[in-house]
Amino acid sequence: MDAIVTVSNVVKNYGQDHVVTAALSGVSLRLEPGDFAVMAGPSGSGKSTLLNIIGGLDRPTSGSVSIEGRELASLSDADLSRLRRDRIGFIFQGYNLIPVMTALENAEYVLMLQGAPAARRREKVLAVLAEVGLSGLENRYPRELSGGQQQRVAIARAIAAEPALILADEPTANVDSRTGDSLIALMRRLNEKGATFLFSTHDPAVMAKARRLIVLKDGLVESDSEK
Amino acid sequence: MLIRLAFRNIWRNRRRTLITMFSMAFGLALAIFFISWGAGVYARLINQAVRLQAGHVTLEHPGYRDAPAVDLFVPGSSKIIEELSQWPEVERVKPIVLGQGMAKSGAGSLGVAVVGVLPSAEAASSPLVKNLSQGKYLADNDGPWCVVGKKLALKLNLGVGKKLVIATNDVGGNLVEELCRVKGIYDTGSDEIDTYLVQVPIGFARNLFRMPEDSVTQLGVILRKADFQKRVLKRLSGHFPAGRVAARAWQEVMPEVASYIRMDKSSNWIFQAILLFLVLFTIFNTMLMSVLERRREFAVLMALGTKPSQIASLIFFESAFLGALGCAAGIVLGGVVALVFNVVGIDLAWFVKEGISISGFALSTRIYSKVTPGILLVPSILVFAAILVVSVIPMRRAVKFSIADVLR
Ligand SMILES: Nc1ncnc2c1ncn2[C@@H]1O[C@H](COP(=O)(O)OP(=O)(O)OP(=O)(O)O)[C@@H](O)[C@H]1O
Ligand SMILES: [Mg+2]
Repeated sequence: MDAIVTVSNVVKNYGQDHVVTAALSGVSLRLEPGDFAVMAGPSGSGKSTLLNIIGGLDRPTSGSVSIEGRELASLSDADLSRLRRDRIGFIFQGYNLIPVMTALENAEYVLMLQGAPAARRREKVLAVLAEVGLSGLENRYPRELSGGQQQRVAIARAIAAEPALILADEPTANVDSRTGDSLIALMRRLNEKGATFLFSTHDPAVMAKARRLIVLKDGLVESDSEK
Repeated sequence: MLIRLAFRNIWRNRRRTLITMFSMAFGLALAIFFISWGAGVYARLINQAVRLQAGHVTLEHPGYRDAPAVDLFVPGSSKIIEELSQWPEVERVKPIVLGQGMAKSGAGSLGVAVVGVLPSAEAASSPLVKNLSQGKYLADNDGPWCVVGKKLALKLNLGVGKKLVIATNDVGGNLVEELCRVKGIYDTGSDEIDTYLVQVPIGFARNLFRMPEDSVTQLGVILRKADFQKRVLKRLSGHFPAGRVAARAWQEVMPEVASYIRMDKSSNWIFQAILLFLVLFTIFNTMLMSVLERRREFAVLMALGTKPSQIASLIFFESAFLGALGCAAGIVLGGVVALVFNVVGIDLAWFVKEGISISGFALSTRIYSKVTPGILLVPSILVFAAILVVSVIPMRRAVKFSIADVLR
């Protein structure tokens, strides 16, 4: 089967001329459909940088990334936008919901961008919100939700359009450990239904639940193990 | 969807939006007020000037403008008056005989303009009649009577009933003199008019200048509305046999008034431009601020697959909504202010004790602003169009960043 993500020899340097920080120093990895991969590693090891590059939010200094066989470097900004809209879901550390939209509207945002018909969209999003345990809170605004609830909305937003790949940068960092556990459990359930996940974390409890653990150190893959 | 989002976004920071709206409204209202007030001053000035002098449109001998002289008259005036009075645009046509002369009394002599008028027509339209301070105004069947200004009366030591000799040249160039008595003294507040203008019955003036029966120097056509001028001038062009009668706009007959208005308008224009620029800057500043503080949000939207052009449209709609709200508020506020002053007027007597006189025409100190759809709408439309143009800058700022950097 084709890989969802192929990263080959990605180098990312920040800064110009004199002071160059090497965030990634030659990373290669493949994600297969159905993976539930957790990326760990000390602070500054390059986890966020790698996630951004895989998601097409940033371009590597050298090396290449392809998503479902499409080389990102060859895509225009508009194509990248479309790829993110249709194939990739993002979950951020801070929930980053749109404050003027309700939970329901936030969750259906990507479907709206795709131009899905309103009725089908509603149906789909209500189901997803139920799935993440937010039934009854659909019409609340983000400020009326707890941190954990907001992160559930963010997860709903990332998965509602059924992307092939979901990238999450420390999705449990801002919630308490019980909420974190339930979010991971939720993502596992979604993974079992077919979504491919790649996320970063500092939390050993989360790492313990990973099916695949990738450890970065100083911009390199230190270990990559299936459990 | 973008439109709905834009609409919600502008109400997100309700206080800032209201402050922006209010300051836009205030600036626009100020602009509207000053424009309508200026228009009110001009309208009043024009109205008084044309009524005191020779109408919105003046009919005269074609050569008179270049070399005013009593022998350049228009014959057969009553037929023209009768005809033009039927026109729907025309309020009245007043006959005028006009010449220069010397006014002499026991106390001295002074150069004056002798104006022969039809008293009934004058009484119905001229502001001079309303400003009579002593005696009575002329009547149509009066003989050798005149009304003079307060300043002239002072200088020549005249009072009601006193004698005055007017010396001048007749149409043949002969030196002539006639005696008349002062029937009334007026006080318009304008030095120029109050020392210079002597009004006499038109028959007396014709006799003085030895002009033929039914001839006039000018016919002052007073229109029901100043706006009718173009139409009437057009209708008059070619109306009379070539070389007999010329129709002139008041701007030509009273160039000093026209140039005063032009200059005043152009200096106001700078002030208006600054005001509108400030209004524009207010909203521009608000939009730029709101864009810069939402970069993270735009980065999220873009990470989710929103195209930069969609973000830019969002900002465009936000600018347009905010601009429309501010402009609408400005029109309402400015309209209310202008209408209030249109009804009650502003009394400047507090500021200018002496009264106001503009290029020799005294104005009453109570000025009423003039409100037209153009005055209300044009400033707002200009500002709104400018908003749409300058919103390009916040639009560009909203998409010009590295998503990864902002999301970090
Ligand atoms: N915009 C930037 N300019 C300069 N250096 C940067 C920039 N972004 C990241 N870096 C550097 O790149 C390296 C990797 O950063 P990255 O954020 O990927 O680490 P991380 O593994 O996500 O760390 P954390 O666990 O603390 O989130 C760090 O040394 C960081 O200082
Ligand atoms: Mg990080």
